[in-house]
Amino acid sequence: MSILEFNGKQLELNEEGFLVNPSIWTEELALVLARQEESLDQLSEDHWAVIRFIRAHFLENQAAPMVRSICKSTGIPLKRIYELFASGPAKGACKLAGLPKPDGCV
Amino acid sequence: MPEFDELEARLAALTEADFACGLEVFRGKLTAADASYLNTCVHCGLCAESCHYFRMDPELENIPAAKLKKIAMVFKREYTTVGRFAPGLVGAKAMDTDMARAWVDAVFGRCSLCGRCSMNCTVGIALPRLFRAARAALGAMGLVPSDLQATVDTALQHGNNMAISKTDWVETVQWIEEELQLETGDPEARLPLDRQGAKILFTVNPREPKFFPLSLQASAKVFWAAKEDWTLTADNGWDLTNYGLFNCNDQEAGALTQNLVDAMVRLGCETLVIGECGHGYASARWEGPEWLQQEYPFKVKSILELMDEYLREGRIKVDPAKNPKPVTLHDPCNLVRHGGICEAQRRVLQASAAHFIEMTPNREHNFCCGGGGGQLAMGRYKGRRLQSGGMKAQQIRDTAAEVVVTPCHNCVDQLMELNKEYKLKVQIKTVAEVVADALVS
Amino acid sequence: MAPLQLGVLLAAAGSLTALVLEFRGAKAFGTRRLFAPPAGDAVAGARYAFTKGMAPQAKESVRMNPLSYLAGVLYHGGVFAAFALLGLRLGNFHRPKALAALALVGALGGFALFGKRLLKAHLRGLSSPDDFVSNILATAFATLAGAVTLRQGLESAWLMVAIALLVYMPIGKIRHCVFFFSTRYHSGAFFGRRGVFPPATNRPERG
Ligand code: SF4
Ligand code: SF4
Repeated sequence: MSILEFNGKQLELNEEGFLVNPSIWTEELALVLARQEESLDQLSEDHWAVIRFIRAHFLENQAAPMVRSICKSTGIPLKRIYELFASGPAKGACKLAGLPKPDGCV
Repeated sequence: MPEFDELEARLAALTEADFACGLEVFRGKLTAADASYLNTCVHCGLCAESCHYFRMDPELENIPAAKLKKIAMVFKREYTTVGRFAPGLVGAKAMDTDMARAWVDAVFGRCSLCGRCSMNCTVGIALPRLFRAARAALGAMGLVPSDLQATVDTALQHGNNMAISKTDWVETVQWIEEELQLETGDPEARLPLDRQGAKILFTVNPREPKFFPLSLQASAKVFWAAKEDWTLTADNGWDLTNYGLFNCNDQEAGALTQNLVDAMVRLGCETLVIGECGHGYASARWEGPEWLQQEYPFKVKSILELMDEYLREGRIKVDPAKNPKPVTLHDPCNLVRHGGICEAQRRVLQASAAHFIEMTPNREHNFCCGGGGGQLAMGRYKGRRLQSGGMKAQQIRDTAAEVVVTPCHNCVDQLMELNKEYKLKVQIKTVAEVVADALVS
Repeated sequence: MAPLQLGVLLAAAGSLTALVLEFRGAKAFGTRRLFAPPAGDAVAGARYAFTKGMAPQAKESVRMNPLSYLAGVLYHGGVFAAFALLGLRLGNFHRPKALAALALVGALGGFALFGKRLLKAHLRGLSSPDDFVSNILATAFATLAGAVTLRQGLESAWLMVAIALLVYMPIGKIRHCVFFFSTRYHSGAFFGRRGVFPPATNRPERG
């Protein structure tokens, strides 16, 4: 467990750097997470498209989307997703979108 | 911390009946070999450096024999005369709350069940068998870390450990088929689903369809090039993982293996082929028949053996010049030391990459990446997992390779984290990805 | 026969019986029928485990701890030599000085390992009282065996320590004198069956 200082508030991250309470996510917070977890100083439009899609999917289904849906919905090719998020869709993109850690080998 | 509080709460709630239940499961796991192992350790401590946990953090608790001792204490107390009458002399102790806590820390918190200590024990003890017996006992006491158990539960409930629906799985397979057709320029290139009577049923790790389908595409490309008669299954039985190997609940593990057996029977295939995954291979090939107490009516192979055969028989051709960057190989413990697949991946890489460098040590002496034994699913031990992985990071750095290849998605995941943590600046690939890139007609 | 010598014989018989019982007790845990088809040969694996698998080139733990390994090898040699001397003594045969020297050198190894266990925090933490008792008895036994053979006297002390050692053997960790064999057999067979032992020949050095 670690604490992330954000807008004067203390947010809890679990051991893997995922938000403990996914509902407190905001786009500003995504930027902070991007810097801290992915060493990204800025997020491009492509980054945002992926993050927003994952977020919306999560709010609707309580689960991370398949990478196929991410590609189809955003129009971003698969290989480009891995360039955008060095830690991959799960530990990279889903984390920035404020999702809990998915089960399995990720 | 909630995770630890949760464990403490569960520990505090343990009753005598729980201890008895745990001990019964423990006893049920032990064979003559295990009883011999538990009687043999001479506390010489020479196994210490064989463990990556100890190498990166030289504490008493990280010595394999110290982990073993906690188990032997209870064994001696329960099953040896001396342990009953002179417990203090030989360090025998009854199972109680403190002991249960110590077991959890030792076998879940400080061990990836990699078995490197077995290779180096002075008397030849194969330690992980006992760590697994202890995990099973803890499971009977309700002490499996919740996230590890959740991975098993998800697989039991959904047929795969990431709760992927049939539609999502099938659509992903079709999508990758389109991608493969684009890549090969062959509109006939297929990822066949439910092809009755195909020779081979191929299985994958759910993280491939969910997040990393390029490795599935690479495997499919190799099959396409070899003109293999293969299929995937649309229903349960496509997930090769089995975290029952790690929570050590044989019944749950058996139920997951049954998914594979059912798919093989349903489709009438000859050979079950396990994609690149160490624990998946060990589970399906070695443990599955024991969990189910039956001989399979089919063969089990790793895709590595298949690729090795394709090359030997000239069914595929590769040009190593297509992989010019220096490549090294990480040996997954469950595939190599505990699985017996040692040479196939080397022959395949020698053929497919221009510059192949062995790590030191390697093969059955290789260091675990730190992500084995279900460590990747146990968030509470992440710090130790990344720290113990420092050993692997150092090994990789010493090779000066730019690409680290490993035939295991579990290892890939840990290596990706090590890459970030230790700033290794390497690329991480599966063997099929390297072969697929080197294919020539 | 003098009472001490009779005592040694009785202790040896008792010790052997107890060791056999312990061994049988462990064996009673049973083996399981295995269903997965083997990939290699269990017997070949066990053979490897008892031969090349024990050699320094196969074990990093030996290469990293050469002095402990040396002390251990000498210690074991010394204790075996001491037992040989004991047998010769009981049968009133001639006792070669070379055996005595071996026992004394072995005792030095025993001392060294005792010191290591006492001084190194990790090893102390790993130890039970039994580890110290076992070492003291075996080291004293080897020391006295050498001393008694090289110069007269101390004979009864030696025989008394021999009795104590024999009585203690099945109680503490010296039981590894029998369990070593089953342990190495079982793990060698396990890795043999899985096709890991013996390792393929003609492959590059494995670091
Ligand atoms: S199995 Fe691996 S992680 Fe566990 S104690 Fe042995 S060397 Fe260490
Ligand atoms: S090397 Fe073997 S005998 Fe020695 S302390 Fe380790 S587990 Fe025990």
